[in-house]
Amino acid sequence: MIPTAAIVRIQSPHWRGFRLWIPLFLLWIPILLLSPLILLVLLACCIAGGIDFFSAVATFWGLLAGLRGTDVRVASNGSHVTVSIL
Amino acid sequence: MNEHRRQILEMLAAGKITAEQAEKLLTAIEPEHTSVPVGEYAGTIGGATAAPAATIKTRAKYLRVLVEADESRTGKKGLSTVNVRVPMQLLRAGVRLAALIPQQAHNQFDEALSRHGVPLTLSQIKPENLEELVDHLEDLTVEMNGAEGNKAKVRVFCE
Repeated sequence: MIPTAAIVRIQSPHWRGFRLWIPLFLLWIPILLLSPLILLVLLACCIAGGIDFFSAVATFWGLLAGLRGTDVRVASNGSHVTVSIL
Repeated sequence: MNEHRRQILEMLAAGKITAEQAEKLLTAIEPEHTSVPVGEYAGTIGGATAAPAATIKTRAKYLRVLVEADESRTGKKGLSTVNVRVPMQLLRAGVRLAALIPQQAHNQFDEALSRHGVPLTLSQIKPENLEELVDHLEDLTVEMNGAEGNKAKVRVFCE
């Protein structure tokens, strides 16, 4: 399943923090429309590099789908930064 | 009484099996002694109904890296922490991506790594190697002591 949203949360003791919700699913619409072009470019790159096209597509799709569930939390000096991909 | 237990007791009553054999069979079907073979990856969970010593192997979904550094190391007030959760699916895809890299790029990458003191051969990283690594990576803790006595702790585990 491809990621649909990302949440960036920044908290600091010195100023009011914020929480940003990024709707990644909105990005999929232009990507879907441009997919024939993207696939053509990928095919050209695969032919130039001597790489199996279907393996490349499967790998990139795996990378995209694997992003879901990634969570990074950093805390330092009382400040907290969280990035979550849903 | 579940069906398996009833069958064992009926076989014992009919004299088809001995009491010892029945005991072994009953022990084997008891839930607290059941090891569920749902994956080859490390990961131990304790269920609410499970016996304390019981472990159930589950397929690890995430790799978690925790880094903790004290004030003396970072120069910042309080404990600094980094907590990263990476899906195993992303790691596997990354390893497959490494397999797509052409051989000449592999050589350049290996040379660059060895120049920086990392004796790693990119072509040897395969999905099966990653799974073997995960299998053994239950909980790895590395404590680093700096020259000035400052400390950082890195913990890597699968969950």
